[in-house]
Amino acid sequence: MSRVAGRTDWAEEEDEDNLQLPQQTITKNKDGTETIVTYSIREDGKKIKTTRRIKKTTVKTIVNPRVAERKSLPKFGQEKGKPPGPQTDTTSVAENIVFRPVSGWKASNEDKGDDAKKKNALKDAKIKCRICSGDHWTTKCPFKDTMAPEGEGVPADMKDDGVAEQGALGGGGSSYVPPHLRGRSGAGEKMGGKYERDDLATLRVTNVSEFAEEQDLRDLFSRFGHVTRVFLAKDRETGRAKGFAFVSYADRSDAAKACEKMDGYGLHHLILRVEFAKKTN
Amino acid sequence: MRPILLSGHERALTQVKYNPDGDLIFSVSKDHVVCAWFSHNGERFGTYHGHQGALWTVDVDPTSTLLATGGADNTMRLWEVNTGELLSTWDFPTAVKRVEFSPDGRQLLCVTEKRSGHLGTVVVFDINPDPKAQQSKEHTLRIVCEDSKATVAGFSYLAEFIIVCHEDGSISQYDAKTGEKLFNTQAHEEDMLITDLQWAPDRTYFITACKDKTSKIVAADSLEVLKTFVTDTPLNSAAITPVKDYVILGGGQAAMDVTTTSARQGKFEARFYHKIFQEEIGRVRGHFGPLNYVAVHPDGTGYCSGGEDGYVRVHHFDKPYFDFMYEVERERAQELSNL
Repeated sequence: MSRVAGRTDWAEEEDEDNLQLPQQTITKNKDGTETIVTYSIREDGKKIKTTRRIKKTTVKTIVNPRVAERKSLPKFGQEKGKPPGPQTDTTSVAENIVFRPVSGWKASNEDKGDDAKKKNALKDAKIKCRICSGDHWTTKCPFKDTMAPEGEGVPADMKDDGVAEQGALGGGGSSYVPPHLRGRSGAGEKMGGKYERDDLATLRVTNVSEFAEEQDLRDLFSRFGHVTRVFLAKDRETGRAKGFAFVSYADRSDAAKACEKMDGYGLHHLILRVEFAKKTN
Repeated sequence: MRPILLSGHERALTQVKYNPDGDLIFSVSKDHVVCAWFSHNGERFGTYHGHQGALWTVDVDPTSTLLATGGADNTMRLWEVNTGELLSTWDFPTAVKRVEFSPDGRQLLCVTEKRSGHLGTVVVFDINPDPKAQQSKEHTLRIVCEDSKATVAGFSYLAEFIIVCHEDGSISQYDAKTGEKLFNTQAHEEDMLITDLQWAPDRTYFITACKDKTSKIVAADSLEVLKTFVTDTPLNSAAITPVKDYVILGGGQAAMDVTTTSARQGKFEARFYHKIFQEEIGRVRGHFGPLNYVAVHPDGTGYCSGGEDGYVRVHHFDKPYFDFMYEVERERAQELSNL
């Protein structure tokens, strides 16, 4: 600045050309922001052009006058004469802590190994059964042997659940497969399955009225071909339908026909949704 | 949530407290200094010098002009918050374990230790809220605890009762005017020291922390136990959070056993319980020693904890804390919004 102030004529300016820096320019943009261009010389003598674009916003907060007064008061005691702002010798910032309240928090959640951590992570992500949408693991679903999951049943996901589940029981993730299940693909989860069914000819019916009976569905669906099995999920306590069912046909073409015709059919006060059941595993 | 670490003390913290405006935190420790901090950024506002022994307790009046402290040098002292000036000193035959202002700031209560032939007492003084005024040295009320010594005490709503918690796990209620004992109830397990008493914002109920590993919410007028929070560690402190219906409990293995236990086993965590459902909802770890005191910001936006490790950790809650609701709470909120 002193150089600028002391400058008397343009000839000198010419001489100092490499040192002379253009003035700072501030341009107001249309969107309310400001562009500030400043020039400076780096230690190695190179000129630097700095362009900053800033937006000024006014945030108004109502502050207790006592609080506001204290902020401007001088410090005292050991802090006497120290500049405003936190001092590094007394104040520091600790590492980030994730605190997320959950209902049914258990101390053991944090003390177990990776298995438990994984389970914990899954827990936070909200447990939702892929079969009946209840809040338990798919592997714990009372209908797991009889029904296919709704939506996309990704097999890898299924295994994940299995591991976490074993960890919870203290089983320690054993890989033992009972002799009668060896050699099968996707062992374990389907153990004790009551029905050997052809998934290709099974329809999943959702949005079923809670007053519907299995017989109603059987009557409805047998119009399209031979129905081998009808399963209507019912609540154990109330005995009412849970809102979805599975219908298996002997023939896939019948199933396709039924799927086409019955999707959107009104049963009681609700409109049915019919689609092919996804394969379990 | 990134806690702010306040390391202004050289020894174990004994009490930390927010002022009612919520912008300051006062901390006392076994080194002889009182510290005042800005709660939003952890900047130290100042220190108060004069005590000759370990400090046990601190409290600030409702307008944040006067600060009372008590310690093992058998004195209770009154300070001016903004300047750090010592205004008044009261001498006692034994250590001062707890001080508390009445809700209007015109009375100050102090609990003295039972030792060397002196019984534990609760003494009340009238306070002139003007920092320039001379404070009266004469007490207006003196309650002597003959059965079991008092550990903590406080004024109820409108300073109607004085609630005193005892070493033997019982809680008594005294008339704050006459000093007459109205009630005594064995709220906690027998012979288990009650370590803390903190009030709900309206002072109609309070929460206690006890060495029997439980914390209880008790009604101020009937001394009826309303809620019980069961933990697995001796508790040193308990606080009720405004805004959200939680309580924060702090404790951990006793200081003398700490070196034989790891940080994890020591249970040096702040435990969050749901105030209504009495169920644990989470923990915040960070201290290397037991938590000696937890205090909640009066607006419910954060809390701070003082530990045996000599640190104060100031936490500002973030979104998940405020968003968390039980299913029934969510349904209720839904219903209300539909109206």
